[in-house]
Amino acid sequence: MSMFEIWLGILQGLGITAQVTAYALVFAVPFALVLGVAQFLATGLTRFLVTAVIEFWRSSAVVVLLFVFYYVLPVMGITLSALTVSALVLGLNIGGYASQAVRAGLQSLPAGQREAGMALGLSRPAILLLIELPQALITMSPTFVNNLIQLVKATSLVSLVTLTDMTFRAKEIAQTDYDPVAIYSALLLAFFVVCYPIALAGRWLEARVHPEKGTARGI
Amino acid sequence: MGFDLHFALSTIPTIIGAIGATLLATILSCLGASALGFTFEMIRRGGGAPGLAVRFLIDFIRSTPVLAWLYFLYFVLPFYGIRLGAMTVGILGLSLYYSGYLAEVFKAGIDAIPKGQQEAARSLSLTRRDTIVFVIAPQMLRNIAAPLGNYFVSILKATPYLAVLAVPEMLGRAFDIASETYRYAEPLTVAGILFLALALIVAYGVKRIEQRLLAAGRR
Amino acid sequence: MLAQAPHPASETLPLVRIVGLNKWFGALQVLKDIELTVRAGSRIVVCGPSGSGKSTLIRCINGLEHFQKGTIQLEGTALGRNPRDTATARRQTGMVFQSFNLFPHLTVLANCTLALRRVLLKPASEAEEIAMHHLTTVRIPEKAHAYPAQLSGGQQQRVAIARALCLNPRIMLFDEPTSALDPEMIKEVLDVMVALAGSGVTMVCVTHEMGFAREVADQIVFMDEGRIVVHASSRDFFSRAAHPRAQLFLDTILSH
Repeated sequence: MSMFEIWLGILQGLGITAQVTAYALVFAVPFALVLGVAQFLATGLTRFLVTAVIEFWRSSAVVVLLFVFYYVLPVMGITLSALTVSALVLGLNIGGYASQAVRAGLQSLPAGQREAGMALGLSRPAILLLIELPQALITMSPTFVNNLIQLVKATSLVSLVTLTDMTFRAKEIAQTDYDPVAIYSALLLAFFVVCYPIALAGRWLEARVHPEKGTARGI
Repeated sequence: MGFDLHFALSTIPTIIGAIGATLLATILSCLGASALGFTFEMIRRGGGAPGLAVRFLIDFIRSTPVLAWLYFLYFVLPFYGIRLGAMTVGILGLSLYYSGYLAEVFKAGIDAIPKGQQEAARSLSLTRRDTIVFVIAPQMLRNIAAPLGNYFVSILKATPYLAVLAVPEMLGRAFDIASETYRYAEPLTVAGILFLALALIVAYGVKRIEQRLLAAGRR
Repeated sequence: MLAQAPHPASETLPLVRIVGLNKWFGALQVLKDIELTVRAGSRIVVCGPSGSGKSTLIRCINGLEHFQKGTIQLEGTALGRNPRDTATARRQTGMVFQSFNLFPHLTVLANCTLALRRVLLKPASEAEEIAMHHLTTVRIPEKAHAYPAQLSGGQQQRVAIARALCLNPRIMLFDEPTSALDPEMIKEVLDVMVALAGSGVTMVCVTHEMGFAREVADQIVFMDEGRIVVHASSRDFFSRAAHPRAQLFLDTILSH
């Protein structure tokens, strides 16, 4: 096979890669928002529990986590498809990271914002929803784009639990063709083609949201 | 077939026995990624064609998954007659992958140093190398202690990827037990807990070192 | 005296010879046809309104700025022609910056010994001896083991002067050394500079401190819009300012 044919063969797995990514976001976005806000608002025991849940998902090694859930859930009598388990684990892992950005974004807002809301007679939920969250999410948007890239790259793991994503396709092709240079270069290139535009969009966003952060040069 | 706690406990010594390989891979990858990342950043700052090439390489690395890099090195190096052990390939892969991230960390750390520092070094006739070693690097390290520590923890959490290359680190050892006993849930759960505990301990240690460094810097 | 052995005064070769110097930042010309000769023992004060190019000129002499046209020679060695000559020429100069630029992670002593050890390859003990000598000259030997952040601005600037003196330069360059200081600290730095001038150190100093200029300088260079408008002896400059723009400048400065 030519390098181009190999590349097309690998891109056949793009559908699964995209599917896992989208499905994982279904878990990641609510998780990040709810737990990030909860960690920001909660105190005492609640805050400790929220932090424990977040830390479990973001401090665990995602590779290990995927295998644990893939093999342990059936033993517990819970049967989920490989796709669902993958989306769940990858989603909550990246959601754990994103929750920290949500919390940091909320914490970085000056107290005057909340006070102004209270002075207008808004309720606490209204202040959160109408004043604090919109600002925090905008400031943190470049971080969320980075989280998204991390997620897309982490989907390569699902090849290890039988899903036929791009990485799995590369290994399949490697079984019939001995051309590792072409095959694995094509795999890297396939991910680059997907992730680099997202990275560029993130840079554009960064320049819009934080124009003050210029790039200095020296040595 | 439920979860056999007794069996799970019996796997702990064997899996912990592989902690040496996990830590070795972590430490060498941290060193490799730091050295490579710093070199990349210095070349990138140098500009010209090499600078441009490295700039693209860093973007490329950051847009591609670590698993794809591990496969690439593992299968492509032998194709060119370079035969290395799985552990060595794994450390090379993690070093290369994380060098792309550490280069950005070094960049931010250097950009935060006032321009006058380089001018003072030049006015004192220090060579470029001495300026980097005695003026820029020490100040940079203080600026980047926190993100650098976080990436070291990330590298620890990426070492179980090496299990796919059959490196006998903790996850690999858990899979060995699983394939001998046909029981996956127990050894993988043990591996999951051990990795989480290790990550939390190392993260705590890194934070302590970081605080010491910052306290020393505030003299 | 330690490390201050007088250089054989060269009668023929000036320390600094600048001929036809022109420099642009992009389209903006910041130095225009600069001609300046500095002989050993001279004490030149460069003044002028902000944006007149005086800092750029002094930074060119230290090799911190590139220039497009003209030559700068330090004891006959040309700056900017090739890296080796530039390095040799720069060694003749010591530079003191407006913002001190001490190395914050090094003690006062280590700031002073760094170049002695790495550039002049002195052993540690000798480097420390030289550094302590110059810290005594700037009247701050007791702070040798302090870090810059523990010092006042005036103290930091005096350390910066000592650091530059350590390499035993033929000429000291000062780039607005007191502009970043609180008023009560200006005097301690100026006092050190007056003492240096008294000991025969050649200096070129960009400053707005006209009292210092009157007391110390033997020549005044007045710059405006990138040109040297007046270059006169100190006495001439202050008695009958030779140029209307210099007179205007003096009036604004002195009326403060």
